[in-house]
Amino acid sequence: MDQKTRDDLLDLFQSKLNEAMRFYLETCTRCGVCTEACHVYASMGQVRYIAAYRGEIVRRLYKKYFKGRGKFWPSVGEAKELTEMAVEELFDAAYSCTGCRRCMVYCPFGIDTQMLMSIAKLLLIGAGSEPEILTMLADTSVEKGKSLDLFKEGFLGGIKRLETEVVAKWKLEAGESAIPVDKEGADLLYVALAGAHSIIPAAAVFNAAGENWTLSFFEAVNFGAFVGDPTKTKLILDRIVNEAKRLKVKEVCVCECGTAYRVMKQLSGKQPFKVVSITEVHARYLREGRIKLDKTRLKGAVTYHDPCQIARNAGVIDEPRYILQHLTDDFREMTPEPKYNWCCGGGGGLVALGEDTLDFRMKSSRVKADQVKDSGAAILATACENCHTQLSNLNDHYKMGMQVEFLSSLVAEALVR
Amino acid sequence: MDTVIYFILVPMVYLAFAVFFIGTAVRLVKIFREPKHPATLQVYPEKNPKWLWALHDTFLFPTVRRHKPVLWVFLMLFHIGLLLLIIGHLELFAEFEIIQVIPHEIFLGQGYLGLLLALALLYFLFRRFVSPVRDLSVPEDYYLLILLFLIVIFGSEMDWARRWYGYGELTVEDYREYLMSLLYLQPYLPDAVTGSGHSFMLVLHVFFANLFLLLFPFSQSMHSFLSLPMNKLRIGK
Repeated sequence: MDQKTRDDLLDLFQSKLNEAMRFYLETCTRCGVCTEACHVYASMGQVRYIAAYRGEIVRRLYKKYFKGRGKFWPSVGEAKELTEMAVEELFDAAYSCTGCRRCMVYCPFGIDTQMLMSIAKLLLIGAGSEPEILTMLADTSVEKGKSLDLFKEGFLGGIKRLETEVVAKWKLEAGESAIPVDKEGADLLYVALAGAHSIIPAAAVFNAAGENWTLSFFEAVNFGAFVGDPTKTKLILDRIVNEAKRLKVKEVCVCECGTAYRVMKQLSGKQPFKVVSITEVHARYLREGRIKLDKTRLKGAVTYHDPCQIARNAGVIDEPRYILQHLTDDFREMTPEPKYNWCCGGGGGLVALGEDTLDFRMKSSRVKADQVKDSGAAILATACENCHTQLSNLNDHYKMGMQVEFLSSLVAEALVR
Repeated sequence: MDTVIYFILVPMVYLAFAVFFIGTAVRLVKIFREPKHPATLQVYPEKNPKWLWALHDTFLFPTVRRHKPVLWVFLMLFHIGLLLLIIGHLELFAEFEIIQVIPHEIFLGQGYLGLLLALALLYFLFRRFVSPVRDLSVPEDYYLLILLFLIVIFGSEMDWARRWYGYGELTVEDYREYLMSLLYLQPYLPDAVTGSGHSFMLVLHVFFANLFLLLFPFSQSMHSFLSLPMNKLRIGK
């Protein structure tokens, strides 16, 4: 690696150093309490997947270039030079970490490994070694924000075709639009994913609850966050923030996508609108009696997988359980409890990388498969696109014979007048 | 030899304390002046009142208790013992009525505190020889534990000799004379401090303690100051 490249990468490293990051880089005592925290280590038993080890991959570079010790006594902390091999190690650490932050619960200090991995991801981008597909997807999202008019017509046509399916689930009064788009003065802006499964059930429930809502032009998923590019994350986020401001909505409701929800909720800053997840909205409708559900629709016991970015990392824990009380009398909680829930193994961009990561995803999530099986349920509900894909893959791979469902779809299917 | 002993017991002590206080302060100021993270780093479910939980998580290590109970017992012993020993050292400067609330002969703990601390340190050290903690450890972790063990063992030996074997040549009064002279910046070494049979223990105890203080601001020992703000981040605003 030439000096110029190294200096540029170290500038990127420097750009990530804020107070919290310094805490996380300075403090680890390598006590090993986090050993059992990572589902990858728990499933595969390789030391390089222990949270503290992943952290150390980044920390060794910090010790080399950002601490005086790195010059005088590098060996004391095993400080390491930034080389091509070091970049490979960063890749291995960052793209085997799903950013679930289960290790943060174990750490006596609360070190956030996801944040340390964000340094690794940014350095990978700088070195041109990140998974290209994630950057391409992020660029497409950014581009869509810049030139919406090019996409608008195709999008509206696509939405029109979905409307009959929405009406099939919930009949509307004549003249009402089943999927309102670009509606100024709506109370709620729903940000979906590109896919009918993310729009149709949600629309049916909004209509059933008599919500004054409108559908966003943009998809919720933030590939900028997956690839760890702060600038693109912000650009992708801002498309929705600007749309919400333009339409003067009171709430932005994020679909079942963990990353999208957490980024929107925690990174959008102070805004004139509230950020809620669709799970929270559905729970509210039930609490206010705006929708009613038929408890007899689901056959067999139901369990719920808490998506890390929605539950442990953003606090939506009681709402899905409240909804499930209205959907079944046979709800089986998984052990351990939500705070300690195993990650599905698909976060951090791994599911978005598709077949490339499938083998790793299956091997690294054996503990998740066991946890789900131990619940004894027949139906596995969740509220995140990535989790749903990964859990479906696990279901096939480990021949679990379960039915993997989106919670919002279960709600839409059970709607009664 | 006298010069070496003098160097360890006087100028090196001043240097070590200067580096410890100034180094730690400068490093902390540097860290706390960095911009705050733009988003919350909280972990849920939420726990209230937040400050109380942050203190609880910082000082009682509940996650260690849950996942590594044996380590937790030794960690608690070590940290409480360390605190008591630091307080105990104050009595080697002068009498403090407040420390004598529970009347005791100097030094605190009848010698057993040092023993417990030494055992805890051996446990910390030996567990680092076993995988997977071995694979995580870096030389710094071993150096610090070895250094702390040496400090504790030489310090305790002086205590044990006085308390358990009636050794009377190096007394509390001698320590007070030496330490108060350092405090008043008029260093004076009583004969007992440099010339008694146990002087070498004192010299080694002070030497290793100096080394530890010199390294402290630049090592993972900084967790003593950073643990609380970090736990606060996890608990949330």
